[in-house]
Amino acid sequence: MEEDDGAEEQQRFSYRQRLKAAVHYTVGCLCEEVALDKEIQFSKQAIAAISEVTFRQCENFAKDLEMFARHAKRSTINTEDVKLLARRSNSLLKYITEKNEEIAQFNLERKAKKKKKSEDENKNSTEQAEAGVVESEN
Amino acid sequence: MADSGSPDSEPTTRTLLRRVLDTADPSTPRRPRSARAGAQRALLETPSSRRLSSQTKTTARRRSQRIRSIGKLAHVQASGYLEEQTPRTLLKNILLTAPESSIVMPKSVVKPGPAPQVVQPSSRESSRGSLELQLPELEPPTTLAPGLLAPGRRKQRLRLSVFQEGMDKGLPLSQESRGNADASSLTSSLNLTFATPLQPQSVQRPGLARRPPTRRAVDVGAFLQDLRDTSLALAPPDTVLEDTQPFSQPLVGRSPSVHHSLPCPSHSGAEDAERAVSHRTRSTGPRLQNNSPGKPAQLLAGKAEERTEKSLSMSKVKEAARARGSARAQEPEGHTQVTEAEGSQGAIETKEPEGSSGDCPTSSRRVSPELASSTPEFLQAKRIQGLEPAPPPSTAVLPSEPLEPLSARLPPRARTPGPKACQNPYKTGLSHYAKLFSFYAKMPMEKKALEMVEKCLDKYFQHLCDDLEMFAAHAGRKTVRPEDLELLMRRQGLVTDQVSLHVLVERHLPLEYRQLLIPCAFSGNSVFPAQ
Repeated sequence: MEEDDGAEEQQRFSYRQRLKAAVHYTVGCLCEEVALDKEIQFSKQAIAAISEVTFRQCENFAKDLEMFARHAKRSTINTEDVKLLARRSNSLLKYITEKNEEIAQFNLERKAKKKKKSEDENKNSTEQAEAGVVESEN
Repeated sequence: MADSGSPDSEPTTRTLLRRVLDTADPSTPRRPRSARAGAQRALLETPSSRRLSSQTKTTARRRSQRIRSIGKLAHVQASGYLEEQTPRTLLKNILLTAPESSIVMPKSVVKPGPAPQVVQPSSRESSRGSLELQLPELEPPTTLAPGLLAPGRRKQRLRLSVFQEGMDKGLPLSQESRGNADASSLTSSLNLTFATPLQPQSVQRPGLARRPPTRRAVDVGAFLQDLRDTSLALAPPDTVLEDTQPFSQPLVGRSPSVHHSLPCPSHSGAEDAERAVSHRTRSTGPRLQNNSPGKPAQLLAGKAEERTEKSLSMSKVKEAARARGSARAQEPEGHTQVTEAEGSQGAIETKEPEGSSGDCPTSSRRVSPELASSTPEFLQAKRIQGLEPAPPPSTAVLPSEPLEPLSARLPPRARTPGPKACQNPYKTGLSHYAKLFSFYAKMPMEKKALEMVEKCLDKYFQHLCDDLEMFAAHAGRKTVRPEDLELLMRRQGLVTDQVSLHVLVERHLPLEYRQLLIPCAFSGNSVFPAQ
């Protein structure tokens, strides 16, 4: 009841905190890389700010993605939704499109493989069946 | 008083009523005793009424009245008392008692006396009553009437005759004959009542008779002429806003020319007209030059037309804009609803604080183009009927288009429309918003700053329009629909989980747009506007 709700809230809150911490850690790692690359130092506050902003933007993205999917009368978020989300930044859009194509290709290849496999299996099974029949006949 | 037994001394309505009031308790049937006492007197006064009412349909009414009365004893008396109190019952009684001179013997001639006077208060009822009560009895009235009537015979007779004559001729009677004559005519001439139950009423009070409202048809020709004359004569004028500015931009100045000429014809739509015109002047494109005469006509023709035209014109403009390939043509629809509403309300000032400067200009701009587009596009709308009617809000997006026509219309007079027309569509709209911006800045602005503002606005609108296009494409459509606009507004944060689009529409848009945007189901489950 209320206690449960309170406990749940606590749980959610702690979950959020953990997520934030994870984001913060990742942002810190990335900033370190960039710092090494550009030979610029990042202050802790800057990293914290960036991670906070990232976290909030992720929330926004999630809501937007859901809206886009609903707008297209779907219940699943699609790569189309993601592309629509990233349309503002050209480079990002390009990157995402490329990745999307890669994944699509990969999926196609996989499907082709699977098809082949299943065909072979079918052939084998039919051959076996025929063999069995033949054997039985014999 | 009533006890005198000669209530007929002055059988006028007034006296009758006075007697009733004097004798009987004024309001409540809850005082049976006093009512009784009064009722007794009243009974004396109108024995006929009771008798009559008992026999006629009025008994039903009396019974209903009886129900009201509390005391048992008071029932009969109270009923009579109650009856008398209401003009309806009075009239009924009178009608019953009063004889028809035409039908009854000379005795009955006297009857019309009190009857007409009492009938006066509610001639309608009497007419109704006369219709109802005609059939029942002719006799009782004759017997009872004499008691009521007396001296005014001759007078009434004369009046009655006069009135009847008037009725026959169909002329309104003079005041003299009005009072008595009406009732007398009603009671005396059943035929008349049958034929014209309501005439007496109108005759009675000609001043109150409902006359069809005299509407002067707008003289479109004269208006157009005025429009042309004034627009020709006027130099680059100032809009209302411009007046407050120390510096005015020549590009935008054209609007008021038409603006000034318009106020006279359109009273109701003055606001819209002015705004529309002011913006229209700016936005007239070359192709709309022909339509400009049509604009004022449209304004005057009626707002309803405007609205429907707007929806059509918006779509047309949109299509036209697309055809022209001007990205600007696709105004951010997202703002249309919010801003349009605000702009259309004329609350341009209030808009500023509400949204960013970019929003406000877009809003006011959008409102004006929308209004403007309606009329300029009206003629086009007919041609382009085949286009998908994008919903009004989305179609309202067209601002730069409507802005073009106006500006192009005026330039031809002063300058060549060629090169300007190309630039104007893009610039005039933005310059308008830039002017608004500088107005609300409340301090002088450099030209460069204004140009930067224009640039920013340009990019902003481009972005919004692109977004709208993408949203439509995302949903597999080629037309922008309100859903796309809602999505855009959601992304902007104008529409949230707490504030829905309908709330914004209700808050900011005028009633006509609201009717178009918010579908509501009427009886019979017919939804308007039909989706």
